[in-house]
Amino acid sequence: MLKFENVSKIYPGDFVALEDVNLTIEQGEFVSIIGHSGAGKSTLLKLLYAEEQPTNGVVSFNERSLDSINRKHLPFYRRNVGTVFQDFKLLPQKTAYENVAYALEVAGESDEDIAEMVPEILDIVGMSSKMSKYPRQLSGGEQQRVCMARALVHNPLVIIADEPTGNLDPTSTWEIVQLLVKINSLGTTILLATHNKVIVDKLNRRVIEIDDGKIVRDTQNGKYTSVRAHNNSKAEIQAI
Amino acid sequence: MTNTKIKKLQRTFKEGLDNFKRNGWLSFATVSVLAISLYIISVTLIIGVASNMVLKNVQDKINVSVYFNSDIEDAKIQEIKEKLGSFQEIKSIEFVSKEKALEQFKKLSNNNPSITQALDEIGDNPLLSALVIKAKSPEQYEIITKAIESSVFAQDVNKIDYVENKTAIERLQSIIKLVEQVGLTLGIAFIFIGVLITFNAIRLTMYAHKQEFEIMRLVGASNTYIKMPFLFEGIFYGISSAFVVMLTLFGTSKFLAPITQGSIAGGDILDFYLHNFLLIFAGLLIAGVILGTLSATIAIRRYLKI
Repeated sequence: MLKFENVSKIYPGDFVALEDVNLTIEQGEFVSIIGHSGAGKSTLLKLLYAEEQPTNGVVSFNERSLDSINRKHLPFYRRNVGTVFQDFKLLPQKTAYENVAYALEVAGESDEDIAEMVPEILDIVGMSSKMSKYPRQLSGGEQQRVCMARALVHNPLVIIADEPTGNLDPTSTWEIVQLLVKINSLGTTILLATHNKVIVDKLNRRVIEIDDGKIVRDTQNGKYTSVRAHNNSKAEIQAI
Repeated sequence: MTNTKIKKLQRTFKEGLDNFKRNGWLSFATVSVLAISLYIISVTLIIGVASNMVLKNVQDKINVSVYFNSDIEDAKIQEIKEKLGSFQEIKSIEFVSKEKALEQFKKLSNNNPSITQALDEIGDNPLLSALVIKAKSPEQYEIITKAIESSVFAQDVNKIDYVENKTAIERLQSIIKLVEQVGLTLGIAFIFIGVLITFNAIRLTMYAHKQEFEIMRLVGASNTYIKMPFLFEGIFYGISSAFVVMLTLFGTSKFLAPITQGSIAGGDILDFYLHNFLLIFAGLLIAGVILGTLSATIAIRRYLKI
């Protein structure tokens, strides 16, 4: 469903963020993307929700190149892709309910539909009791749930989560991951960029490791640390 | 237009209104400056229109009266009238015989018994026959009088009176011209300032919403949807100032009404304002919307990077 073909991304100043990336992700997969900060994880995801355009190569969604989408129609494409971020990106002057409703409002949904859909979706993420709270009145975990609700509200085919648990305590982290698993089990593809070893190991799903703009590992049922790297570091520690 | 489009238009309209209301003092200051510029422009226009009406009024009333010596026969005067008729500067000539002049004079004095008595005492008609000449435009009176003074019948002419009128008209014209120039210059300067201030207010709103543009885009808002609230905000500034100016104009004309009494056809300046209320209001609204839209467009172009 998602396809990268010889994709490179070079930012101004000759900074190479991604180099010759080839990648295919099927509908319904749960993919963890790992790598150091600055390895290129976020750039990879940004290309998917068309925040950035590749310098070379083609990124396609359901066989359609994102390049070929008219800029005017990008908003419609983005409604197929739900996004969740480390810094939540909620509108501070809107309540939890209004934040989720906003995603429907911009799409021109009717008031009746919005009034019906928003509480439903907030119920799915377990936030129905706090719909009228403002983001500043919610904990990090709760804010992230609202973000998940907002990402889900357009019924997207893919959820892109860029370090969604980066600011959360272990309990909230696990709750968010479980939510992602639940969404995935309903058929939505999940792309999760993370630094969290525990999560990746526990998930035991496909792992893609990026280093220096290149995919260095792509394993089904992978762990956070590759066996080879694990052995290497063991050897290093023993050497000391 | 489809339902979704109307829905989106409603929502961006409301968003713009919220921005406008939330800005508080900033909105107040913006509306004030816009209102001042619109006020100056409209006062200038009203003075221009009203004083031109006054001028036209006065111009219609002025004429040159050429009085003939009392021993000149009516027939001779008719002859002179026909000669003058060939002047292309002259619009009309009316012959007023001394009998008619006397009649008019009596009427004018309301048949005041002491005046009629005085006239009876004199016995003979003391008034002179005259030709009342109207020129096509005010500056032509001088040519006409010069022509009469140097003509063959100059010795038959008792007196020509026109001079006082002429200077009054010239002064009026130059005052109107000055007012129009000063008003327009000031108005244009203030419009420029008004647009800058409105533009700045919208820019500040954008700054306050800076981190939201990214979010709006991520949840699938189109660029137009993001821009529209700012456009509406600009329009609200314009419309509000139009209302403020309507009120202040009403106050101004009410204040000036006693001074202008009778100088404008159909009453004073307040009557003029009330009579043209819809026209002035529509003009102000249109001007306000144009200024607001202009300011918002500049702000969106320059500062809304999406």
